[in-house]
Amino acid sequence: MKMKLFPVIALVGAFIVACDKDIQNPLLEPYAVSSLDENAGQWKPYILSSVSDIVVPEPKPVTDPAYLKELDSLKNYIAPRVTPENRAAVEHWGAGAVYRWNEIARELSARYNLPPASNAEGKYPVPDAANPLKDPKFPFANPPYAARALAYLSVAQFDALVTAWNYKYKFNRKAPYKIDSGIKPLLPASDLPSYPSEAAVVAAASYTVLIAMFPGEVPYLDGKLAENKNAMIWAAMSTPSDITAGDALGKAVAARVMAKAKTDGMSAANNQSRTPAMIETAKSIGIIEPWKSQESPLRPTMLPTYGEVATWNFSKETMIAMRPPKPWIVGTPEFEKDLKELQGIQKNQTREQARIANFWADGAGSYTPPAHWHRIGAEAGKDAKYSEVRMARTLALLGTAEMDAGIACWDAKHYYFTPRPQQFGVKTSVGLPNFPSYTSGHSTFSSAGATVLSYIFPERKNEFEAMALEASNSRIYGLIHYRVDCEMGVAHGKTIGGYAVQRGQTDGSGL
Amino acid sequence: MFSMNLKYFMTRIFAAVLLFRVLLFPAFLSAQQPNDAIYMDKNAICIVAAYGHNSWDTYWENTLKRQNLNIGTNTTQSFALMAAAGITDKLNLLVGLPYVSTRNSAGNLLGQKGLQDFSAALKYKLFNNEGLSLHGTLGGSIPVSNYVPDFLPMSIGLHSATASARLVFNYLHKSGIYFTAHGAYTARSNVRTDRDSYQANDKIYNSDELAIPNATDGGINIGYLKNSLQATLFLERFDCVGGDHIRRNDAPYPTNDMEATNIGAYVKFQPGHFGVNARYAYTTSGRNVGQTTSLMAGILYQFSIKKSSN
Repeated sequence: MKMKLFPVIALVGAFIVACDKDIQNPLLEPYAVSSLDENAGQWKPYILSSVSDIVVPEPKPVTDPAYLKELDSLKNYIAPRVTPENRAAVEHWGAGAVYRWNEIARELSARYNLPPASNAEGKYPVPDAANPLKDPKFPFANPPYAARALAYLSVAQFDALVTAWNYKYKFNRKAPYKIDSGIKPLLPASDLPSYPSEAAVVAAASYTVLIAMFPGEVPYLDGKLAENKNAMIWAAMSTPSDITAGDALGKAVAARVMAKAKTDGMSAANNQSRTPAMIETAKSIGIIEPWKSQESPLRPTMLPTYGEVATWNFSKETMIAMRPPKPWIVGTPEFEKDLKELQGIQKNQTREQARIANFWADGAGSYTPPAHWHRIGAEAGKDAKYSEVRMARTLALLGTAEMDAGIACWDAKHYYFTPRPQQFGVKTSVGLPNFPSYTSGHSTFSSAGATVLSYIFPERKNEFEAMALEASNSRIYGLIHYRVDCEMGVAHGKTIGGYAVQRGQTDGSGL
Repeated sequence: MFSMNLKYFMTRIFAAVLLFRVLLFPAFLSAQQPNDAIYMDKNAICIVAAYGHNSWDTYWENTLKRQNLNIGTNTTQSFALMAAAGITDKLNLLVGLPYVSTRNSAGNLLGQKGLQDFSAALKYKLFNNEGLSLHGTLGGSIPVSNYVPDFLPMSIGLHSATASARLVFNYLHKSGIYFTAHGAYTARSNVRTDRDSYQANDKIYNSDELAIPNATDGGINIGYLKNSLQATLFLERFDCVGGDHIRRNDAPYPTNDMEATNIGAYVKFQPGHFGVNARYAYTTSGRNVGQTTSLMAGILYQFSIKKSSN
């Protein structure tokens, strides 16, 4: 009997041992940048009036005993004590501070992207910024919220970095390993002046924005801030005085950026008392059967007055002027055609249609469509070996376009207040967002994103446009948008992205 | 004597394997299963066609027991073909393949349908003396269609390939009263999703690969088994080994640590070639699963491919 039992036991053991199921995020090779972007100190910031708004004190000369002591410490105290964990942190942050902080913001967006549950009275409590970890957690990082958080993050990184570049080349303090050849950097060496530290600038600016956007995550963000700064010391990329100056600069710039954020109208973006008038307006221009929540209990529409939040790259007058035209009205042959298309897909959805719908779904628990485009942009910048400042420019152009897309799309949605296909019995394979149908947010976000990225990476234009079109179609395949919602959203997004491109063409970068 | 009786008893297939694959909407089962002590004689084959109906309107969102007006009642129906074959009197092969469909009574989530996973198991009688017996089962399953794994609670399965090993202890008194205790460990493969990033364990994974936790299950049966009748009461427990929990107001996800305790009853009557069976189970407690009521009914047909040598 023992003999017979043995194979069974052995097999069970083999199962347990053989299954290393952990999913590892891909390791990224730190890269030497393709250009130092030496003139980035002349690029035009978004919020600051100029790159000299914030004063960075002149560093001590490299012959100063205090600085020499810093070098000595890097070489003789820190380097011999770098642990494998420290090295792993260096590798991680070596992918780039802008890249990693963008990733952190996306991760937080995903973790906070859950609609509040209804309470016993059948109401949906509004998250409370003063009690961010109490159910429902603050924020509900829905697409408009995430678009805005990432826009301010990217703008703060950009404004802080162009300021940093100005001072880097003004003071021209070389990197520690350029001054003392006995210091061996753990990341690719560079001729970029190291004061103030660009990583510390980004870390402090990002931290300042993100603790405001995700106030329940202060301890988590404290840890990331400390690790990013320490990693640059462990790697001998910067001395503590480079880091301290960068930290102060990043925090000062981000404070200016957050002062602007506080007055952009977001605090009034959930004005539900305005929805009855919005519905009346929609009816007055011919919309019959306006949108109704399909949830039980009825959930108020998401951020009905987000359309009034301040835009980045065009005025509110321009936004109204380029609002998409009136969509098909329920009952017209054009509407019936679009509805029939959805009914046909519902009956016979192909696996490929389901795959596309799922790939781009970016629903609850994901990092949202605007953040999906941030990921695409950050990966493109990494593949092109962009410097920190050029990565920040890429994501600021993209991020402002994404927030503009959200605002202009939400304006259209709540101006027309059109019904979702689910009001006519259509089901969904991706989950139904709780706000009016026309135009498609995915289409608008994606088209705006592809337009900006096609300007920055012209050789990849076809690829980005194909992605945007697929993202747009995904909402038809997922059965939650009519074709007209998607097609007009794509056109709208292209115009919106075009304003960010104009900004990029005139920001002094010459790019 | 034990095996003489067994000749007439159709058996249950795969309860544990299939039941928990789709734990939010526990599946069906049928005849002989890997966790009992019942065997087909050599060259005997039993084919089963079974219909299963599982539903819940209450589920455990992590530890919070709740209902959801946007789901209403979640129902999983299945139609399965299964077979048990006696390779020898002591070694049986079990196979099964279900077609599964899902729907909600409320809300707007699109029901899913399709062929789910093919399962196979070998059951071997390791020891048998004076009514006391010990059995080992090795089994596995593999998805046979490209269904979507992470559209829970509508997905028809988790799309994970599995391998399991089980020990079954049985005591049959000559009165026909029997007692069974069984336990198993199931390794479950990671799965690919249509996405290139997802959130689990409060982290973002920039990958399309989901870690499906392995699982253990075990249970006890007390029943009566004589002539053409089998009747059993059972208690079962299923636990994932690790996994995360459904977040507040989030949907379930394949990475979840699903746990459930079920009670139920099973009867089978097979006076000749044809027989019928039926099973009822109810989830009394759980975590990250639905509180499921599960009903199954099947028709059995047994035959022998050769004249019995005795």
